[in-house]
Amino acid sequence: MHWKNIFSIIGQLTLFLAITMIIPIIFAIYYKDNNLLSFIKSIILILVLSIFIRLCFKSNNNSTIINQREGLIIVSIGWIIVSLLGALPFYFSSQNFTFVDAFFESVSGFTTTGASILTNIETQPKSLLLWRSFIQWLGGMGIIVLSITILPLMKASGNKLYKAEVPSPVPDKLKPKIRDTAIILWKVYLLFSIIELLLLIAGNLSFFDALCHTFTTMPTGGFSTLNLSINHYHSLYIDLIILIFMIIGGINFSLHYQMLKGKSVMFWKDSECKFFLITCMFFSTLIALNLYKKVYPSIIEAFRYSTFQVVSIITTTGYITADYELWPSMSKLIIALCMFIGASAGSTSGGMKCLRIVLCLKYCYKELFSIVHPRAVTQIKINGQSVSNKIIRSIFGFLSLYIIIFVFFSIILAGMGLNVTTSLGSVAASLGNIGPGFGAVGPSKNYALIPNLGKYILTFCMLLGRLEIYTLIVLIVPEFWRK
Amino acid sequence: MRIVIIGAGEVGLNIASKLAYEGKDVVVIDKNTEALKFIAENIDVKIVNGSGSNPLILKEAGIIESEVLLAVADSDEANLSACLIADLLSPSTKKLARIRSDGFIPYYKELRRNIPHINTVINPDIEVVRTIERFIDFPGVVDIVDFVDGHIKFVGIKINKTSPIANIQLSNLSSVVREIKPLIIAVVRNEKLIIPKGKDELKVGDLAYFITIDKELLKIMSVFNPNSFPANVKRVLIIGGGVIGYNLAKKLELRSISCKVIEKESSRCEYLAQKLDKTIILHGDGSDQSLLNEENVSETDVVVTLTNDEETNVLISLLAKRMGAKKTITQVNKFSYFSFMPTIGIEQVVSSRLSAVNTILHHIRRGKILSAISIKGEAAEVMEAIALPTSDLVSKPLKKISFPKEAMIAGIMRHKDIIIPNGNSIIEPGDRIIVFAKRKAIPGVEKALSVKLEYF
Repeated sequence: MHWKNIFSIIGQLTLFLAITMIIPIIFAIYYKDNNLLSFIKSIILILVLSIFIRLCFKSNNNSTIINQREGLIIVSIGWIIVSLLGALPFYFSSQNFTFVDAFFESVSGFTTTGASILTNIETQPKSLLLWRSFIQWLGGMGIIVLSITILPLMKASGNKLYKAEVPSPVPDKLKPKIRDTAIILWKVYLLFSIIELLLLIAGNLSFFDALCHTFTTMPTGGFSTLNLSINHYHSLYIDLIILIFMIIGGINFSLHYQMLKGKSVMFWKDSECKFFLITCMFFSTLIALNLYKKVYPSIIEAFRYSTFQVVSIITTTGYITADYELWPSMSKLIIALCMFIGASAGSTSGGMKCLRIVLCLKYCYKELFSIVHPRAVTQIKINGQSVSNKIIRSIFGFLSLYIIIFVFFSIILAGMGLNVTTSLGSVAASLGNIGPGFGAVGPSKNYALIPNLGKYILTFCMLLGRLEIYTLIVLIVPEFWRK
Repeated sequence: MRIVIIGAGEVGLNIASKLAYEGKDVVVIDKNTEALKFIAENIDVKIVNGSGSNPLILKEAGIIESEVLLAVADSDEANLSACLIADLLSPSTKKLARIRSDGFIPYYKELRRNIPHINTVINPDIEVVRTIERFIDFPGVVDIVDFVDGHIKFVGIKINKTSPIANIQLSNLSSVVREIKPLIIAVVRNEKLIIPKGKDELKVGDLAYFITIDKELLKIMSVFNPNSFPANVKRVLIIGGGVIGYNLAKKLELRSISCKVIEKESSRCEYLAQKLDKTIILHGDGSDQSLLNEENVSETDVVVTLTNDEETNVLISLLAKRMGAKKTITQVNKFSYFSFMPTIGIEQVVSSRLSAVNTILHHIRRGKILSAISIKGEAAEVMEAIALPTSDLVSKPLKKISFPKEAMIAGIMRHKDIIIPNGNSIIEPGDRIIVFAKRKAIPGVEKALSVKLEYF
């Protein structure tokens, strides 16, 4: 293990984080919200730390080559350190954040979870709210992917880091060079963000609100600047714009790139995307029929709220226009199922990802098929490409780990005195990077009442979910550290 | 007139013997001395031992004076490189390369037209797939060939017991058949080729060749066999997943016919499963009765046997038929087997080698002859030609023309009309004509068409 290389890269990462804090500082000055000092303090602290790292772990040569294991360490530790440092503005602010709360809010931001411990969001200083939304935007496409595009030191090692941060089950590289691929993804991300911002401003949102909501829609994050989330506006237009951009955020970005390059109707040709869209429509319809007359008198209204909520949860965004806890059990269970499914691989969403679900279903069909035709040789295919058994095995490993982790931490949370619904709901919502869960952490409530240890566990779940489990969990395997 | 053939395999051997029989200078190049020895003992050709892509060997074979180079060795790469080297030595020689691997198939059209330094490539496997598809569509058909860009079909069909036209004098056919009378050109009976006269009759077990325009094909088929047309094929079982099997399965997938492929080699199975979407790939031995049973061979409409071993193909076809398959199509490559296949109950036979020979013939008999095809057992050829103004054939009623005895004019295409001729028909200059000729009569036909023995 070359700790020098590892920390010199992490040092660059922290330096980069300090630079991004300039943006909330501008807002703090503009809005005069008495929060400037907390950002200044944070920047100074981060700069000191960065310089310290730089002095201690000065890398001899400029292009460091790292191996697979070091890549995993950099990404895992990088995410934890960035989340810790990102928590400083909360901790230093005048709002009396305890350390654990600040850390929780920061991790929830960077991992695009959107779970909050704030009971009254609207009273927070604007620059802090912006920072909270902005870190979701940074985390959505991946802080490492972003740094690959910007930082020179990452050039040689980009490939390993990219694989560790964006562990797509079936990797697709848009360009021969990973840096070019990362740049394309960020360009697409930026382009959609600008479009959404303009459309939201057109919907009579203030620039600040439009910006914050754009920062949290595209990465399917879900932080809002309002206590009532999107429901605050009671506007069909805003609902629709947010809905569309949540779906965009839930679709593989390489498909967006291909569409923008002029290859039209790629969405329907891609099996995963098709599955994602059909699942959204199917569940929305089921819930709408379930809600019709029981909750909403008109079918159109039932559709409006069911679609928004299904898309919000399945893309792991977590915006709220209706409190699904008040819905009938069937609807609630479908929403719970959505928490696990997630949207497309290669998107900004969390959860298990549609691609894994599709391949898992195909595998099950293959097993049934081979009972009928014992001698048949079959291949699992996605978009006409066959998927190797190695990938299928890794997907089953992922799904099993996901369930095991979910059950394990739910039991621990229940052991801390939370009720069954709350413990299951909060772990599912954290692991899937969604935000609102069930019970005491339901859509109209927040995470403030979770005990401190529980908050640490949930932040760990968020990081696990964001780094798709393997990257982080492999660090606790003893074999990993063996020389 | 000299022709150099690279590759002394079955295709090389057959082409060589055909051309030598017609009195052309043939040189065969091959690395295998055994194969060359066999050829030298049986056919009057020159043999050269060595690699076809070696310039010295090509020179020794006389490539510079030759008009045609046929590269029909087993390896695609050898064929291509031989053509390239030959082009260097003698640009005026017409070069044909046989290419068979999978990867080339999507580019077949491009290769035929645009490949540099090579006049054309031929892929007999594609022709075989086409023939099998036709056999699937037309049960009972033994041979089916296109002429005039597919507007005219030359069809060989088996006469079975239920056929209403069995045992009826050909001149009396109109008493049984209302609508269209098929023009029967040749009959193969007891392995002998007969050109029938009006007083002859078709017997059960005969193989009758007739000619028809494309549109009336189905109607005429139902004259022979009223109940079985059009064919309703839903399930096909392919045994042997080689190049032909794979391409056939791909074609059938497009037509949404449910298709299964049995393949022995597991790595090939994996490959097929990757490439094919709806087809069920089964790993196993095609001659395994329990596997055939398991996969419901009795419910299968067509079983196609395409393994590399023709004896196995024949046996599997017989087995499948006994187990209840409605129809079988068998790949047999040895020409010497063709004649007795009907005797043992194998009806529809395909051969990639025969189609290679046919495709090559098409290219060799150029000049004013547009295409040519030899029918089963090679006893006769069907040619498509343009009637030249200088020919003796034109501007006279057919009955007054002195045409070789064992040959006949079977169809005339004028502009876009197709005339099935009778004694009073007149050929006009520029017409395309279809001529059927027994092997002995071919030189006479070529003379009559004033094509002489000149090729290019």
